[in-house]
Amino acid sequence: MSTPTAEVKRKNTGKHTNVPGKPEGWVPAGDLQEVVTLEKMLTLPRETIFMTGSEAARESIRRANVDMAIAYPITPQSETMQQAGYLYDEGYIKDYYRGEEEIGSMSAISGASRAGVRSLTATSGPGLMRGMEAISSWPGARTPLVLLDMCRVINTPLAIQPDNIEISFLLETGMLVMHAENQQDFYDYPLIAFIVSEEVDVTLPCTVSVDGFFVTHARGNVSIVDKKYKIPPRDGWRNAVPSMDNENPPARLSRDAPIQKSNFISYHMHASWQQEVFAAVERSAKYFDKYLGGLIEVVNPGSDEMLIASGAAVSQAREAVRQEGEKGNKIGLIKVKTIRPWPGPQIIEAAKHAKKIFVPEFNQAGWLHKNVTTTLYGHCQAKIYNGPRVFGGMTMPTELILDWLKESRERKE
Amino acid sequence: MLIQENLYLTRSAPDGEGGQQFLYKVNQYGVSAISRPQEEIAQIHWDVEVIKYRETEAVKFDVCHDTELAEKPLVFHNDSSLNEFLKKAFGYFKELGFLEGMITNDKET
Repeated sequence: MSTPTAEVKRKNTGKHTNVPGKPEGWVPAGDLQEVVTLEKMLTLPRETIFMTGSEAARESIRRANVDMAIAYPITPQSETMQQAGYLYDEGYIKDYYRGEEEIGSMSAISGASRAGVRSLTATSGPGLMRGMEAISSWPGARTPLVLLDMCRVINTPLAIQPDNIEISFLLETGMLVMHAENQQDFYDYPLIAFIVSEEVDVTLPCTVSVDGFFVTHARGNVSIVDKKYKIPPRDGWRNAVPSMDNENPPARLSRDAPIQKSNFISYHMHASWQQEVFAAVERSAKYFDKYLGGLIEVVNPGSDEMLIASGAAVSQAREAVRQEGEKGNKIGLIKVKTIRPWPGPQIIEAAKHAKKIFVPEFNQAGWLHKNVTTTLYGHCQAKIYNGPRVFGGMTMPTELILDWLKESRERKE
Repeated sequence: MLIQENLYLTRSAPDGEGGQQFLYKVNQYGVSAISRPQEEIAQIHWDVEVIKYRETEAVKFDVCHDTELAEKPLVFHNDSSLNEFLKKAFGYFKELGFLEGMITNDKET
């Protein structure tokens, strides 16, 4: 799919002649980009650049054809949305403003999505908690949008260090949740998130979570396509529920009547609506599978000892696998790319032969461990270890994972 | 981007503090360059050590402050200055490997 770029250029050159603060004849950079399908975007030639996770997100947003971005700054998210501000200035994002705080931002971006435009917001830890009332209403309201979530500590004693316990609060909301391992994922995942989120049989918000600082504020190799390309725009009329028609006031402020009739709603209606939301989460799996090349990645399949991890813990697990390999020990690794939809059948298939499973995580709750044990119960004979885990901003040295492996062997478990 | 010549391994910094480690190797010597997370993008830099590998196959090494290249940890604030240092180090390591080989041969004879 491609647009008649020359015609678009001509049309928009006239349209934007008097943009305040811009020279006469200024054309938004987004109008000069060529639209390509996500399938094509993922296979175009790439250039590798050493950049931070925040910069990788910026390059993703540049190619994501975003109509509306609204966010309130919080560490470590601020860096990314500052970068998004540069994109707005250049004309890659059509509209962008700073919300008053997170409840306001998360409510406002929901309104943008309901109006049928491609919508982006971002936050971190305590900001996510503050916006949770609005965020938890997004899936039921069937608002496709992308939330970039740069994880940090949320609990007291307060810290700004990386810790991803906040993901556990998103898991049962009906949102789609992806967990990026590194800067490369933080470039690829948002593009995929927008397209899957807007599929008509999905029509759900999608969070792209990433471990703050470790990824957002550190540099890594990122392969990106030329900035002249962007993914197709959102078709605001292609949803599971109708968009608001803001051009013909008075706009309908609510969705279909049953959703927002408060105490008048029948519990049957609420129950069936929620069932449909979670069914839509499951339906999204086929799209993620297609664009991600599988909901999980398996290293050394069939190993007796396996690590199951998501996010930055995957990188530490990869190094543990490599170091054990130097000693002649084959350790398996399952990288979980999407937390919702949860790749249960894929994990069962990949782990069914394992004898020991370790779940390294950057949080106190062990939400990934809980999901893994629930999934594998009755399907696998492996002993599933409750860790290793670090939290509150603690680091996870590779030695920590290696020590858990070593101790389990010494105890002959 | 750092130069790819003599790049032995790229990995997530194994101490778990975030960032990427690039390991270069020429004979038994090499350079470790780590780029860590910083609060501001402008603060991101390279922490560099000259290293000496303990084993040929495995990635095990000691920090080496005995060469003429560096007697302490080094800091580089951009890729180009580190690339210049790497090129200089590669030449030095080749020469060092040659000289150490001569010493070994002398001892054997």
